Amino acid sequence: MSKRLQFVLLISVFVVATCGLIYELVAGTLASYLLGDSVTQFSTIIGAYLFSMGIGSFLSKYFLNDLIRWFIRIEILVGLVGGFSSVILFLLFEQVSHFRIVLYLLVALTGILVGLEIPLLMRILKDRLEFSELVSKVFTFDYIGALLASVIFPLLLIPYLGIMRTSLFFGLINIAIAILVCVWLRKEINGARWLLPQAIISLVLLIAGFIFSEELLKFAEAQAYHDSVIYARSSPYQRIVVTKSGADVRLFLNGNLQFSSNDEYRYHEALVHPAMSMVKHPKRVLVMGGGDGLAVREILKYPEVETITLVDLDPAVTNLFNSNALLTDLNKNSLHSSKLTIINQDAFVWIKNHDTLYDVVIIDFPDPSNYSLGKLYTNTFYRELRHIVDPNGLAVIQSTSPYFARKSFWIIDETLRQVGFNTLPYHAYIPSFGEWGYVLASQTSQPDSLGLLPENLKYLSRSTFEQMTFFPPDMAHTESGYNSLNNQRLVQVFEQEWSNYQP
Amino acid sequence: MISRRKFLFNSLGLAGATCMGSVFTSCTPSRNVTGMLTGPNQALGHRLHQEIRNAKVEQTLHHDVVIVGGGTSGLAAARYLSKSGTDFMLIELEQRTGGNAQSGSNEVSAYPLGAHYLPLPSLNDAELLHFLEESGAITGYQNGKPVYNDYYLCFDPKERLFIHGHWQDGLVPHSGVPSADLDQLHRFQSLMHEFKQAKGADGKDAFCIPLTACSVDPAFTALDKISFSEYLQQQTFTSEYLWWYVNYCCADDYGATADQVSAWAGIHYFASRKGIAHNAESDSVLTWPEGNGWLVNKLREQVKETIVCNSLVFRIESRGNKVAVLFIDGNAGVCTEVITDQVILATPQFINHRILSASFEHPLNAASFNYAPWMVANLTLTSNLETKRGEPLSWDNVIYGSKSLGYVYANHQTLGQRQQQQVITYYAPLLGANAKDSRTFANAQTYEQWYAWVTKDLKTAHRFIEDGMERMDVWVWGHGMICPIPDFIFGKARTNASASLRDKIHFAHSDCSGISIFEEAFHRGTQAAKKVLGYES
Repeated sequence: MSKRLQFVLLISVFVVATCGLIYELVAGTLASYLLGDSVTQFSTIIGAYLFSMGIGSFLSKYFLNDLIRWFIRIEILVGLVGGFSSVILFLLFEQVSHFRIVLYLLVALTGILVGLEIPLLMRILKDRLEFSELVSKVFTFDYIGALLASVIFPLLLIPYLGIMRTSLFFGLINIAIAILVCVWLRKEINGARWLLPQAIISLVLLIAGFIFSEELLKFAEAQAYHDSVIYARSSPYQRIVVTKSGADVRLFLNGNLQFSSNDEYRYHEALVHPAMSMVKHPKRVLVMGGGDGLAVREILKYPEVETITLVDLDPAVTNLFNSNALLTDLNKNSLHSSKLTIINQDAFVWIKNHDTLYDVVIIDFPDPSNYSLGKLYTNTFYRELRHIVDPNGLAVIQSTSPYFARKSFWIIDETLRQVGFNTLPYHAYIPSFGEWGYVLASQTSQPDSLGLLPENLKYLSRSTFEQMTFFPPDMAHTESGYNSLNNQRLVQVFEQEWSNYQP
Repeated sequence: MISRRKFLFNSLGLAGATCMGSVFTSCTPSRNVTGMLTGPNQALGHRLHQEIRNAKVEQTLHHDVVIVGGGTSGLAAARYLSKSGTDFMLIELEQRTGGNAQSGSNEVSAYPLGAHYLPLPSLNDAELLHFLEESGAITGYQNGKPVYNDYYLCFDPKERLFIHGHWQDGLVPHSGVPSADLDQLHRFQSLMHEFKQAKGADGKDAFCIPLTACSVDPAFTALDKISFSEYLQQQTFTSEYLWWYVNYCCADDYGATADQVSAWAGIHYFASRKGIAHNAESDSVLTWPEGNGWLVNKLREQVKETIVCNSLVFRIESRGNKVAVLFIDGNAGVCTEVITDQVILATPQFINHRILSASFEHPLNAASFNYAPWMVANLTLTSNLETKRGEPLSWDNVIYGSKSLGYVYANHQTLGQRQQQQVITYYAPLLGANAKDSRTFANAQTYEQWYAWVTKDLKTAHRFIEDGMERMDVWVWGHGMICPIPDFIFGKARTNASASLRDKIHFAHSDCSGISIFEEAFHRGTQAAKKVLGYES
């Protein structure tokens, strides 16, 4: 009996030590993820955690009787607190103003509980082993456990389980030890039948957490949007989230803001009207990207337009924007216009197989943040574009921010010119985005001043446009080179430029 | 006689069945991966030295020229002959032409079964440039430099290497590599750069493509006498990173190790590519989802009327002033002889030796001709090959320390946004002390064994690759590539075996060059056609 007890308890030491260090690493890593400055985070978390373990060790002397039962109770508590620590931290990060207090409270609580475990275990074992043997065995297992944890955490757990499932998984292991001790030592624990159900309920909770960790993570991400999420869905291409706060409706694709209803009129007036007004009698208009229908709404202000073709990859976006009442209010039901044809197809594949001419082509793709999207900003794509823009027509391309990503902006301009377009770069200030850039591209003459604008525009006017074509020195033209399929310099430059502005 | 014929065609049928492959499902109980194990028509080829030799001729045809073999060199010869309006016939053993550049396809993508890219050719490889222009891979010239079709130039990002648990960009190890090793790698690269610029006393480039244009200055050809690893030791290279890289490159081009290939051949890999383009860097490559299958299909289109597939040439003999080429057609089972003036043999030398009648006195030293076996696996996946660790999924993805060459992303040249399903092509030359043992080993492996080999290797970089695997098709090349062992490229055995016989039999296979690359096969094929036409002697 005593041999078995010894064995079970020593294995517990090993597991407890491993779990203990894992929770510490989880807290440190999470704090670095969420708060940045990993040296400070790790240093303070480790300090706070070790100190709390000291408190736990100190408190252990107040536990006088029923040591095994206390050990099991604490084990269950550690499993629950440690296991759910990452979930709690993720969920609370956006919710509470003093996140650090929550973080250190949680670290302290876990630390105290873990700090209690080893002294309790030593006392349980003290009558069964020589003191020298006891100290030697307990600390050996303790430190081996710590080594194991520190090795598997970065190499296996974080890459393959991710941080949330790692902490849940070790919570499960803690509870499993509690159950094991309960079952194996049931004779030594007097009248503690209720411990086992407790442990099992905790186990079920953790398993549920583990299974639904993906959903929990998504939920936590949804919390990251400041406003209430009114729509969230993953299409095969992207995650679509719509938020609402007061009258402000926002669309996020993969977490990137696409528009805010407060100021999107600035973005879309600047995108659509320069090109539309410069072309005499635009009849055939093509929109690529822009499945939200907001550009189409602006285009419909020109009665002479006969057909609008909208090519957007993701039917989930176009369906959302022609069915949700809040959103159809915003785009004035433009996606139901009888002039409009919606084609849900990849823009590059589509343009390569089309050669009908358009008077105005409006290109509103997501920023070139990866190599797949970068293809849509290459000279090869723009060469295909030249085949479908009428000789007297115009194309306009949303071209990221000339302020945040100055070189990227001028690479797009250079790429358009490299395939033979005459270009007119311009920019507009959109409060929710910052300074934003566009490039007008013409087959023949150099585009310059605006034509007749529709009435009731809120932002764009002749005099606004004059300012828009002026680039102050911090956004002025810079030597950039062009972007091609076999050398996507734009993607590299874009990533580097925006990383300077990450919070 | 009748019973013999019956036996013969049963075995042809059997060979066809082998070619179709056997379908396996679910090689491990928990997974549901389908696929098959296939390869070139070895069984049919192996019948050569057996019963067929005495088959009875039932039909006689007449052509001015017969081309035996429809790989790149045979098709290139056919292309050149067809331009001159010559009457010829091309006979191919397999169900389709293409040789090492064959390709396959499924609902997700086309994919290569062998060779999968063409480095930009240098400006003096004029015939190859013509062909690329005919086929639309070159769209024009600007300032004397070819403008390549943007859709065929390999897209960015091109290459990544999984090293120290992280994907770095490029294949030359640098991420986490100690500075002493980096110094050696730099020294190696500048050495290779010098060879790239070097010219022999005869004024020719020391290293270039095609090989026939290279300098024969002994200062360089002496490098063909020693192995590449001897050379590297002489140069006091010790870095394990450098040795890995060099062995990777030798495996890539020759299916062999630095111990096995000559120093001249080893250097050739690094020093011979001198492509020039108006719209790409000189180290760019042309590639397609189906690999060089695209190129051989373009060649085939020009000459498809002249091609007869699934037919085994089993004897070539002298008939007075003429030559008789005897073949058996695997479909109808008819034995035909073609009476012709000249023959282009675009088949490997070990085949040539078996089918040429002894009277031609073909001088082959078979021991000098080593062919490395290869395994190529095509995987259809929904697994995520983007990891958060480093560079994104690239065209060529290599795992440091692996004996395989990693994998190529077949959908890389597609234009659309990334799809969920993707096809990757995994390449493994079967390196071993000698090619024959490796071949025996390769032929003995079951589908399940190959499956385990491929997944084990890929799991180094993609732990959960099996979770999204839908299909794996394995293709084994018994005689994949000629290996340029020391004293082969500038040795007697190669030149003797490749010299035309009686001005009637001309050799075109890339093993006549000693290097198994598209450019050499194309060049050899074209040269053989020129010999037929009397343009070259």
